Amino acid sequence: MQRIIKPLLRHPAMPMLLVVQVALACAIAGNAWFMLQQKMAPLMAHVGVGQPQRLLVVTGLRARGTPWPAATLRGLETQLRQLPDVETVSNAATLPMAGQAQMLAYAYRPGRHAFVNTSVYVGDNLVKTLGLHLVAGRDFSAAEKATTLNAGMGYHRAGPVIITRALARRLFPDGPALGHAITFTGSQSQRTVVGIVAHLMRNDLTGDHRHNLDISMLFPGTPARWPAPHFAVRAKHAVDARLIQSVRRLVTQQLGPRLLAGTWPKVERFAVLRARALAPARAATWLFAAVTLIVLIVTGTGIAGMTSYQVRQRTRQIGVQRALGAPRRAVVRALQCENLLLMGLGIGVGAVLAFASNAWLIEHYAFSRLPLSLLPVGTAVLIAIGQLAVLVPARKAAGIAPVSALRAI
Amino acid sequence: MFGYYLHLAWQRCRHHWASSCLVALTLAIGIAACMTTLTLVDTFAGAPIPGVSNHLYVTTLTPTTDTAPDSQLAWPLALAILHARRADTQAALAQTRPRVSDADGRHGTVTSGLLASGRILATLGIALRFGRAWTQRELDAHAPVALIDTHLAERLFGADDVVGRSITLNKRRFRVIGVTVPWQPRMRFSDVEQAVPGPLGRPVRIILPIGAALAAGVGPLSAGACGNGGPADTAFGTVKLHGCAWLELWTRLDTPAARAGYVRFLRHFAQARQHHGYFAKPMHAALYGTRAWMDLNAMTPDGVALNALLAGAFLLLCMSQVVGLVTARFLDGRAHAAIRRALGATRGQILAQHLVESTLLGAGGGLVALPLTLLGLWIVRAQPVGYAAAAQCHWDMFVLLLIVALAAGALVGAWPAWRVGRQPPARCIKQG
Repeated sequence: MQRIIKPLLRHPAMPMLLVVQVALACAIAGNAWFMLQQKMAPLMAHVGVGQPQRLLVVTGLRARGTPWPAATLRGLETQLRQLPDVETVSNAATLPMAGQAQMLAYAYRPGRHAFVNTSVYVGDNLVKTLGLHLVAGRDFSAAEKATTLNAGMGYHRAGPVIITRALARRLFPDGPALGHAITFTGSQSQRTVVGIVAHLMRNDLTGDHRHNLDISMLFPGTPARWPAPHFAVRAKHAVDARLIQSVRRLVTQQLGPRLLAGTWPKVERFAVLRARALAPARAATWLFAAVTLIVLIVTGTGIAGMTSYQVRQRTRQIGVQRALGAPRRAVVRALQCENLLLMGLGIGVGAVLAFASNAWLIEHYAFSRLPLSLLPVGTAVLIAIGQLAVLVPARKAAGIAPVSALRAI
Repeated sequence: MFGYYLHLAWQRCRHHWASSCLVALTLAIGIAACMTTLTLVDTFAGAPIPGVSNHLYVTTLTPTTDTAPDSQLAWPLALAILHARRADTQAALAQTRPRVSDADGRHGTVTSGLLASGRILATLGIALRFGRAWTQRELDAHAPVALIDTHLAERLFGADDVVGRSITLNKRRFRVIGVTVPWQPRMRFSDVEQAVPGPLGRPVRIILPIGAALAAGVGPLSAGACGNGGPADTAFGTVKLHGCAWLELWTRLDTPAARAGYVRFLRHFAQARQHHGYFAKPMHAALYGTRAWMDLNAMTPDGVALNALLAGAFLLLCMSQVVGLVTARFLDGRAHAAIRRALGATRGQILAQHLVESTLLGAGGGLVALPLTLLGLWIVRAQPVGYAAAAQCHWDMFVLLLIVALAAGALVGAWPAWRVGRQPPARCIKQG
């Protein structure tokens, strides 16, 4: 150890520079990698929709003036259901992956005050139409589905609710959720959990929702005073162009006259909707992946450049060592140890820098805390890069002939 | 002397071409990342309406129990403030998206514009090309008049001087009294609370007087908050606006004194109204400047500033790496410096010579950064984010790029050059 540290202390400038570099790289790559994880979460999460190739969605409906009455929406629903190849139809206020309109509620158990930010999907028949997987309890009954919801959208109304397994675990960590009541901030009534679905992704994807992606619930009924309704249509087979056309014709025929100027119904396969909803997350993922990669490459070339300079500087010393009988392996190992030491120091400083900058970002922007799990992964990756970068100059150093020590004097 | 140093630097760059390329490329990547993100920051940091928005203020009337100031006003309330005439240049406005066609109902198109009352053109600084603005008498009489921009005029009539001709909205005729130049704020500064996506401004192609527009069934894009404020209370394009707060009042106030006077008036106005039972709760009146209002409502996407910070840190990393590369390169060539010292060059001259060399490397980095910045902006434009369209290159940014590149070059060279200058000549010559 002494043999490694002493020469470093004699000419501390270049090693210090390397430590600074590694620390900066550590802080930047750490935060970039963390942002990458955030953006990637919705891409990897379960949407919860079963057999999406059979699902068709109608979005972009905006009523001009007073929203469409429930009777009109139900009539259109019946007509859609009568189309050949259509299995079920659902009219909903919002749908997964249709992020233009969002409904949120802070759900909690009566008597406890741990709120959970939850996405709410209001609609009839959503479990069947979206193909959700019920893991406990039942679907809404026909009578429950036939409810008409007014401006309150069911927030202030007692009734049933179906929640995701993740929400059930969050609200009822110590027991079954089925049959228990939940309520929402600002609401005077309670809803009873009648069913639990395996997954259902929320539809507001801005911000950091890594741990909340699967937190959502369903209210039954037809929203009658909602200016932006959606329809979901489940076909008997994979959706084809003919079905899209007939759905579009029916929707335009029924709702067209009251559409807001400049808007038109969009009838799309669910996969198209999903791709569009996740496009920003996907693009950001690529961006941050590229940033992380470039930072690591720049760091790697920097380390390689500096080590090869150090080797050039120490040609004579290495030559003397070799002449005195040091094997090539020892020369390589000494350089590797030196690199490990400097990298360790840099990573230590860098980790402090990363967490400090993270704390600053949390204070000034909507940013989340860096997970501690980043530390071992980041350390391993950076040390591996350092060792790889030092390999070429170290092998060159090992190749220095003992005679060069004599020649240079 | 400078020419000679430049010549020397050029010779050495050619000799160490591999390390020169690496230095230039590393600097270029850092500079390009910085310039790309700074272009976006520049867009959002500037004034939404250059030369005008610095003097524009929005009126907010908020229940004292609420924390977030509310700029949405009901039409009678906005009208009452306008009629008090406490400022020369003010207007109430709301976004609209009507379908417009020519007098015979042909060439129909959906366009974005404003429903407005008051001196809208002077308030927002929209220039007229032909015709005139509306008069107070026309406003009071709900006269069906309209202001359109040359873009819409071309679209509807194939000509730009269309003053006196008629357009059709919702089957009602509106007479065009003025044609404005195409106008678009750089950023969205009004209607921050409404469900209009994106942080960038929209073009205003048509401006209609509120009374006449509502009479013709042309409503605002969103009715804002109505009555009890339930989640389903938003309605689009409606004219049933009773009890809805859907207008914003923007006032141009050029001096601090005028501003203070106007705030005083607003406070008195709110108190008087509350006294007469117009408000159920005590209200707080306040004025916000354009920039303060945008900052308060977080109109600059978080991503813009975050990416700039990330890019700045990245440039720092690139520079620290280049310091290492340049130090190695200068110290490798210290024998030359030592010979020049032995022949009589001063330390300062050695320092200057090396600084010229590193600045030349910085200039090279800037040169490579130019296409890389264009590439970066192209990548941002291809991103599915609301501000993608703001990623346009400005020539003033290239001047900044050049300055940044030269400064980065000089900065990374400063310490290595100083070190080379300090080397004792005798030992260097012996070792070299």
